[in-house]
Amino acid sequence: MKEFQPIAARQAPIKTVGFTAWLRDNLFSSIPNSVVTLSVIALLAYYLPLVFDWVFWSANFTGTTEDACVKEGACWVFINAWSYQFFYGTYPVEEVWRINLTLVLLVMVIAASFTLPKSIRLKASITSWLLLPIVGIAILDGRWLGLEVVSTDLWGGFTLNVFMAAASIIVAFPFSFLWALGRRSEMPFIRSVSVIFIEFFRGVPVLSLFFMGSVMLPLFFAEGTNVDKLIRVWLVLIFFMSGYMAEVFRGGFQAVPSGQYEAADSIGLSYWQKILLIILPQVIKVSMPNILATFVMLFKNTTFLLIIGIPEVVQTLQTALSNSYWLGGHALEGYLFVFLVFWGSCFSMSVLARRIERQMNTDKRD
Amino acid sequence: MTATNSAADSQDVIVIENLNKWYGNFHVLRDINLKVKKGERIVICGPSGSGKSTTIRCINRLEEFQEGSLVVDGVEMIEDVKNIEKIRRDVGMVFQHFNLFPHLTILENLTLGPIWVQKKPKAEAEEIAMKYLERVKIPDQADKYPGQLSGGQQQRVAIARSLCMNPNIMLFDEPTSALDPEMIKEVLDVMVELAEEGMTMLCVTHEMGFAKKVADRVIFMDAGQIVEENEPNEFFNNPQNERTKLFLSQILGH
Repeated sequence: MKEFQPIAARQAPIKTVGFTAWLRDNLFSSIPNSVVTLSVIALLAYYLPLVFDWVFWSANFTGTTEDACVKEGACWVFINAWSYQFFYGTYPVEEVWRINLTLVLLVMVIAASFTLPKSIRLKASITSWLLLPIVGIAILDGRWLGLEVVSTDLWGGFTLNVFMAAASIIVAFPFSFLWALGRRSEMPFIRSVSVIFIEFFRGVPVLSLFFMGSVMLPLFFAEGTNVDKLIRVWLVLIFFMSGYMAEVFRGGFQAVPSGQYEAADSIGLSYWQKILLIILPQVIKVSMPNILATFVMLFKNTTFLLIIGIPEVVQTLQTALSNSYWLGGHALEGYLFVFLVFWGSCFSMSVLARRIERQMNTDKRD
Repeated sequence: MTATNSAADSQDVIVIENLNKWYGNFHVLRDINLKVKKGERIVICGPSGSGKSTTIRCINRLEEFQEGSLVVDGVEMIEDVKNIEKIRRDVGMVFQHFNLFPHLTILENLTLGPIWVQKKPKAEAEEIAMKYLERVKIPDQADKYPGQLSGGQQQRVAIARSLCMNPNIMLFDEPTSALDPEMIKEVLDVMVELAEEGMTMLCVTHEMGFAKKVADRVIFMDAGQIVEENEPNEFFNNPQNERTKLFLSQILGH
């Protein structure tokens, strides 16, 4: 009898790999394609030096006042002089360590969610995530810890954007999961309440929600109670976020095959064990790209807070731009700075999310 | 509980009487009567849509039914959730598409039930899990994820997962239908071994070789009812019903 002989694997032909092959396939595959490539190169060659010149070569980096900006390029002195306000608003300088500490805690909790030993990771990271908003408020406000009280009127700058977004996301996350569960519920009352909630907060512009939070919400509170403006806005962000996230989760639920529910049932798990141990992890896994998109959207939406006079970073920038000592027209530098800061943060979130996705991807054979 | 139930042989671990089920207005199960003794191995076959899967899914209440009674291990199936969970712990189930939990390792898939349902300590649950993984001959895959295993291996893990709960009854819902031919044997081998150890088994399957080898009784279903039931030799060589003959000639014909 003949013996089965597998043919040894060979290298791919040289034409299909390497740099020149890549160039030919991607940039010069046809005449129109080559024309586009060359025009783009020409445009870049013309404009890039101009941009670089403005940003670097003829930009002003040193100095502390408007007068230091003598060269015709960008006036980075402006950003430098206002950097404290851009990041921390009007938070007292001697107390600013509290903001930094809160930021460090945020980073630590994120890092802990990846690096803790697997046996305690889930419990420890969920607990620390849920504690974080409370701890953060305690540190920033100070009254529960016996520190000097810093009124929320003084909070501001980019860190306020970060804190508002983080605090809303953390609280909204479990809520939105419950809304999504409610929407799938077989109980008509729970289902209709969930549907009404979700559709209301998804169907209303976030700006109008902010106005409602700052103007109308106080009307519902008891006479004499004064709920802090930031807390009201926080509530609005939580509701808005959980409405959106609930729909993201609903998509995730639909992607989990019914066999998973049946298998969980067949080994006798209770309803909540089934949802939390079997379904939720799979829902989060398939929803990860959309969860990130919602996070980024909410984070960027925190700049809308300027409309109701909360001194987040864009509001602070506008204050700086209208300052009588800095009337040289630095809007371009200012907005570029805001772009850069937001883009950097959002890009880091993408990188993080991709890491989570990779970590959760258990389909690949190794 | 009805008089006939209490009169039933105490050896009967499953007693189904006049079971009727509708999907909306569609009458899927019609007057199903079935008694299963402890240690009995039953194979259920029939064309698709005949209600064979639905019948065994009623036993651990993955499907609800509207009429009739169903007693498992002396516990009557009623709406009470406690009873349902009690029965589900006693009844293992293996699915056509394995339904392993893809986000958990093989070991975690196996220990989930013992830890969360039976409240066993983790170390003990892992010991039990490894014992059953050895029995289905894949202890070396314990730390992999389901997606990294072949179909046959996954189905053996699914069987081990059910066995970890120490069930009295095992239900198999077309366990080999989604497998490549080369992998069917490894799963059937495990099932034969299980049968030889005296497990009460109900298998929905078209593996007639398996039926001939291990079944005590073969049941043929069509259009939501039991058409014929007999011990395998008689069933295959001397079917009593025209419909059974036709079915057998179609699946054994080539």
